Amino acid sequence: MSHADPDQLAGLALDPTDGPEDVRDHAATCPECAALLAAFTGVRRRAGADALVAPPARVRAQVLAEVRAGDPAEPAAPPVPDELARRRGVPLWLAAVAAALALLAGVGLGRWGTGGEGAPEAVVPPADTGTVVAAATLTALDSDADRGEASAVQSEDTFTIRVSATELGDAPGVREVWLIHVDGVRMVSIGLLAAGDDGEFAVPMELIDEGYRIVDISVEPDDGDPTHSGVSVARGELA
Amino acid sequence: MTIIPFPARSTRRYGDPVVTQAMSFEDEQDDAVRALAARLVAGDETALEEIYDRWSALVHTYALRALRDPHDAEDVTQQVFVAAWRSRHTLTPSPAALPAWLLGIARHKVADARAARARDADRVAAVVSLPGAHDGSDQSVDDDVAERLVVRQAVDELPDPRRTIMFLAFWEERSHAEIAETVGLPLGTVKSHVRRGLIKLHQQLEGVRHESR
Repeated sequence: MSHADPDQLAGLALDPTDGPEDVRDHAATCPECAALLAAFTGVRRRAGADALVAPPARVRAQVLAEVRAGDPAEPAAPPVPDELARRRGVPLWLAAVAAALALLAGVGLGRWGTGGEGAPEAVVPPADTGTVVAAATLTALDSDADRGEASAVQSEDTFTIRVSATELGDAPGVREVWLIHVDGVRMVSIGLLAAGDDGEFAVPMELIDEGYRIVDISVEPDDGDPTHSGVSVARGELA
Repeated sequence: MTIIPFPARSTRRYGDPVVTQAMSFEDEQDDAVRALAARLVAGDETALEEIYDRWSALVHTYALRALRDPHDAEDVTQQVFVAAWRSRHTLTPSPAALPAWLLGIARHKVADARAARARDADRVAAVVSLPGAHDGSDQSVDDDVAERLVVRQAVDELPDPRRTIMFLAFWEERSHAEIAETVGLPLGTVKSHVRRGLIKLHQQLEGVRHESR
């Protein structure tokens, strides 16, 4: 039979004599279902803890006071009206990007967006280094090990993601660069690291605007499947 | 539980496919947590307040169990949320990421507090020429405590009647038939609530475990 319904496995975890015989037999022989059953049993065993104890109210006040007193981790963002950005619920760096764009439009170079159509592709690095409007430190997913950096660069009328990665490992396959939405669900491929660990990818500004801010590098086997392999070797959020 | 829930062909790294399918219900709650995390990352102070209100009891209770000192537990709780704010850029929003991340920070702060105690104890020991008095605390015991607290919070956050049913079943060890009588629901409904509740708790716990790695 195919795998047992989690619902029935949960029933078995609660009462080993519960449920149809074929489900019990399957759970006894299928490693996957047996593991899930064991996990459910483990959760059941962990139930019974005493109620959580809230900290005294003064701790909350102290946390907020300390947070408001100073924020050493605040990235050195270009000076933008802080309050304005916060009130609109717009991240600081995004407000900076918007400001840069407004400036661009102001000087009559409003050709922004022409590169937004079609599939994004790696572009030859322009001579002009452009303005870095957001940056991310890339790290491994299972540790804080450094994997290089990525930056979002505004240059003339293009917007590019520059990736300069290190130590991506030598697993077989190509390295593909993705932007993952901060909602943790949506993602879009922006291209391949064609040569070495560095690459530059033109992307439509709207993507970043919408929240596709997490740069992710995956290892993709040559299997013709265009979706993310699920094997990420580096990740960082543009901020 | 799929912690990095994006379209992926292989779930090897991210959890068991069987569990992935089972977690489609109560997605709404997950979305709310994800949105909250995203607001924190974006620098929204009110998000920190909401996160504090929802998880400070979890962090505080963990610190209290691990350190067995109310004053130290308060200190650690405060340090955890301040550190969470300052390192918010490192958080990848996903449903289980917030509690896992907070507990991860708490683990470090508890370790720091213990190290400080051990140094003090060593100093005393050096004076009276005794071996260092480390409080042989075991990380796996701490982790088990954390997991029990995560389960407790997950049950607390279930909507009624499932919450009440889970308490009667798991905390008071009542039979399904007794529960059906107490809450006035059909036996089949009660069974279904307990099963679904157990699956939900499993997802929460797996999420926290995965994110803690």
